[in-house]
Amino acid sequence: MKNSSKLYKQICAYLGCDLDSEPCQQIKDHLTKCPGCKVYIDKIKKTVKLYKIADNCDDIPKDICNKLFVSLNIDSASRSGKESDK
Amino acid sequence: MEPKTQPTEEEIVARAQKGDRQALSRLVIDYRSRIYHLGLRLTGNEQDAEDIVQETFLIMVKKIHQFKGKSSFYTWLYRIAVNIGLRKLKSKPHKYQHISIDDPDLEHISSTETAVWPTFDYSRVSQKQFRKKLDQLIEKLPEKYRTVFILRDLHEVSTEDTGKILQITPSNTKIRLMRARNFLKEELEKLVAEEGLI
Repeated sequence: MKNSSKLYKQICAYLGCDLDSEPCQQIKDHLTKCPGCKVYIDKIKKTVKLYKIADNCDDIPKDICNKLFVSLNIDSASRSGKESDK
Repeated sequence: MEPKTQPTEEEIVARAQKGDRQALSRLVIDYRSRIYHLGLRLTGNEQDAEDIVQETFLIMVKKIHQFKGKSSFYTWLYRIAVNIGLRKLKSKPHKYQHISIDDPDLEHISSTETAVWPTFDYSRVSQKQFRKKLDQLIEKLPEKYRTVFILRDLHEVSTEDTGKILQITPSNTKIRLMRARNFLKEELEKLVAEEGLI
């Protein structure tokens, strides 16, 4: 990794992008050769995945939802049927 | 008979702008959980998250006629929610003071990143104690990094739209995301080392 400041910048840009997006070939090549960077990227990916899974555990509580519709003055007829979130 | 096609979001928004209550309701149903999550992650507090949901949709109903369609609807709605959330955070004393967020030390990664993490037991995130620890780490992130992490990684908002919501440039968005990810990874690493959590 020494004397490769351009590459560091590219890796930084890569880390700020979608982790599964198509990174430049140079970085891909580097990752196959550099175990340290490979481990680093793997840890970042696992961290993000862990938080994503944790976030999916929450659902908006029913009472908050009911209060919301009451305060917005949307009656039950308007919200009948399709209650699922996207 | 032709099968009835679902209206697009643009059509629903257009109807809502004309005061159609059913269309407004549809938008609330589609976005309520996402706005609640956003509020919860941003503030770390259920009461604040509820307030953010309430205020966001009240503003949506009141101002939807002002939505010009220059950005996507969700960008417009998220911006409202984020602004309410940030205002809330500013009005409260910070739980975690003066946390410095640095860039990853990329020059030394090759020599320092030697310990491979084992396969995570992702089912543990449903355990209350473990969730609490994860939440505490995210709350330690200063808000400008936390907001980007929540939008980009948890809500899968694009870099461009995250920039629009937060009114920062795409490159700033990327830098903040990189620092947030690196910070959380390092904090998680400490947990792994100290408590063998994963």
